[in-house]
Amino acid sequence: MPIKDTRFTRENGRVLMLGNEAIVRGCLEAGVSYVSQYPGTPTSDIGEYFHQILDSEPEMHKYLVHHWAVNEAVASSSCAGAAWTGVRALNPMKHVGLNVASDALSVIALNGPKPGGLVTVVGSDPGSLGSHQEQNERFYAWMFHLPTIEPHTPQECKDWIKLAFEISEKYDLVVNFRTSTRSAHSRGFVNLEPIIKGKEKGEFIRNIPKFNSLPPHAINNHIRLYERIEQLRKDIPELGFNTEFAGTNKIGIITSGMPFGYTMEALEQLGLRDVPVLKLGMIYPLNYEQIIKFLQALEKVVVIEELEPFLEMDIARIAHEHKIQVEVLGEKYFPKYNEFSTGLVATCLAKIYGKHPNDQMMKAIDYFNSYKDIVPSRFPTFCAGCPERATLYAILKATNHLDNTVICGDIGCYVMSFFPPQECSDLIICMSGGISAAIGMSTKTDQKVLAMIGDSTFFHTGMAPLAEAVGYDSNFLLIIFENSWTAMTGHQDDVLRYLSKSGFSIEKICRSIGVQWLRVEDSYNPKKLIKSIDEALNSKGLKVIIVKRECALQANRWRMSQIRSLETQGKRVQDVSYFIGGCQMCYECARILSCPAIRRVETDGIEEMQIDQDRCVKCGVCYEICPNGAIRKSVINALEGVEVPFREL
Amino acid sequence: MYFKETDIINIVIAGTAGQGVITLKRLIEFAAQKAGIERAFGSEMHGLAQREGAITSHTRYQKQVFEDERRNLQSPLICYGDADLYICFEPVEALRRGIYASGKTTFVINDRTIPGVMITAGFERYPSIEEIKETLEGYRNGVYFMNATQVSLDHFKHNQQVNLIMLGFAIATGKIHFIEMKHYEEVIKEWLRDPELNIKAMHLGFEEGKKVIGSCDS
Repeated sequence: MPIKDTRFTRENGRVLMLGNEAIVRGCLEAGVSYVSQYPGTPTSDIGEYFHQILDSEPEMHKYLVHHWAVNEAVASSSCAGAAWTGVRALNPMKHVGLNVASDALSVIALNGPKPGGLVTVVGSDPGSLGSHQEQNERFYAWMFHLPTIEPHTPQECKDWIKLAFEISEKYDLVVNFRTSTRSAHSRGFVNLEPIIKGKEKGEFIRNIPKFNSLPPHAINNHIRLYERIEQLRKDIPELGFNTEFAGTNKIGIITSGMPFGYTMEALEQLGLRDVPVLKLGMIYPLNYEQIIKFLQALEKVVVIEELEPFLEMDIARIAHEHKIQVEVLGEKYFPKYNEFSTGLVATCLAKIYGKHPNDQMMKAIDYFNSYKDIVPSRFPTFCAGCPERATLYAILKATNHLDNTVICGDIGCYVMSFFPPQECSDLIICMSGGISAAIGMSTKTDQKVLAMIGDSTFFHTGMAPLAEAVGYDSNFLLIIFENSWTAMTGHQDDVLRYLSKSGFSIEKICRSIGVQWLRVEDSYNPKKLIKSIDEALNSKGLKVIIVKRECALQANRWRMSQIRSLETQGKRVQDVSYFIGGCQMCYECARILSCPAIRRVETDGIEEMQIDQDRCVKCGVCYEICPNGAIRKSVINALEGVEVPFREL
Repeated sequence: MYFKETDIINIVIAGTAGQGVITLKRLIEFAAQKAGIERAFGSEMHGLAQREGAITSHTRYQKQVFEDERRNLQSPLICYGDADLYICFEPVEALRRGIYASGKTTFVINDRTIPGVMITAGFERYPSIEEIKETLEGYRNGVYFMNATQVSLDHFKHNQQVNLIMLGFAIATGKIHFIEMKHYEEVIKEWLRDPELNIKAMHLGFEEGKKVIGSCDS
């Protein structure tokens, strides 16, 4: 949207920013000089802002490097490598990305980032708003001793990420900055401070015990890690992360991050202005004196946090160890799943404090419940023209609707395959989990096994299981979607884009690994694709089909810009459109292809399908597959106009 | 209803992916800054919410904050029943997240439907516009419909101006307190390509909106 966005360049002022934008601004004010990440909601846009800044201020390349890494473990180690030359490195990832990065971070945390600083931004996702699960990755903080900061507002995002770098350098600790889908994508005012240029160059200074955590250094570094974390624990009150709201009520509250906001508004709604509230900005480690002092005045303390009890366990432990007579409440009243809201917190607190939630809210819930069943579902689905949708259509046709077939899904846009009406995915595990599951499954069943993976996921962790499948000559079909983008997270470049410039391709990788049965197909030619899938599933051993077709969103943007530029040059362009006439209502396009640009309409009691011209991207797949020839193609300016097809990959 | 400067204004914007929900939210927030609003905090959806999915965003602001932080805007999400205004790009989306509405809520709705794949496949039913209207009547503080998509197609030959038309329609309710037309115009000039076209669309939505609201209320 921005034409000229000065929020990342101006020296001062007060601007509106999303949490993620504020994190990037804070990094610029902290002089960050290396960023590496694999895109993942809700942290993907952090990298996009860095890219925008580098594009608009080319001289910044000297001070700031941003890499889209192939996966999170690579990103974390890259950041460590940069930090160990004495610069500040930022490592954003989504919560499940931390599982991938954990192998690297477990060691990096032990060694410590000094002489540089290393801050991870981990985007959690209570409510699973943009992820396949809502794991509570806060427990990694205990496992690896990652000091963990939880911001609430964009101002805190900006101010605290700067502090995170200072702490990381001062205490030689990897600091984790934990956001959530909500804090990352909520906008508020941010007061800016001057930008500092990142270090252009650093230098690695040899230190074998610090950087080689093997026996005997492993134990020594572990001891050293405790010393570092305990020093930080003592200093917490001076850092200014934690705030106390005084009150005389004997039931107090400890909370952090987004639940703090819900809590304050819930208390106001319940008319409870006397409740002591301790807002923790740093959730690990906890300063014992600060917690003890807060608990001592109370009979009960309510810990308000989303997902599994993390703070609650630590606070109960502190109360127990210091023999404080206080009842610790939390999971008994609050759900351990899903995202919180002001309404939910108010309802739970009403029970604890013996109050009634307000009338307006209760009536709103009741009235909503009285009609919500008439609201039809609207889950995310493949865009109009999506080559993955067309491939699922081909799979359904080739297997007679998955008869005697198991389809192993994966993470990417095709994660949506399980949604009706296509329901073309039997299982999903994690990045590249589909190929791996197929390896094991195909040894134990005579069903036909099919796995799917996208190009970005293939580079992330897909090549290793493919090599294993070749090694064991596994009996399944792998479909690789090559659409040339990390599409699901908002079209970041993937590494293929750079590799293809030097003539490299997924096809060549597969051949080099040793794949014998290999075809390259186009999902806009569904009949040929169906034939190939059918042949593959009736052959023994490992088969790979690469479906090569650019993401329709990007392809359509490119085509529209070509058309606009030709038209401004005064050239005539062929105007292709598809329309339906004589529809037999066989539902082939609506139930098996299920393109969102097609709608069912009723005119004078007669039902038929129609194509929404403003949504159709003219991929022509419905025209190819209509069994009754009812979908027609019209080309205006057919003779004199220039044809603008989709670009080839 | 009279609004104090310390009152929190709550606006829900609902629609489907690609309709411009997030752009509209940004415009209102940036305009709020021009109007001298002291605090704004609102949430929007990125990521999986795209791809034809339902999108809801919450815009919240407070012209003047209390000294006591306990009374101020602290959450980017509106509490159930606390929305002052719903701006809906699609009729059924007004109901999907209807839990934030109550007797004080005003609705402006684009009545062009986007049925979704399960409706087209014949596996689910899309409620009739009459049914949707009847349901929303339960809220009793103004429910206004306009075919903003058609207005956009008629005046601009494409559907890209729907969000600015809806903004004008929403302004016409008088429910986006403390922000004036000139603030939106300034923001559009700073942030959008083709500001003239967008300002024209906003004014068109405002004029059409006034007609709709006038004929409903009389």
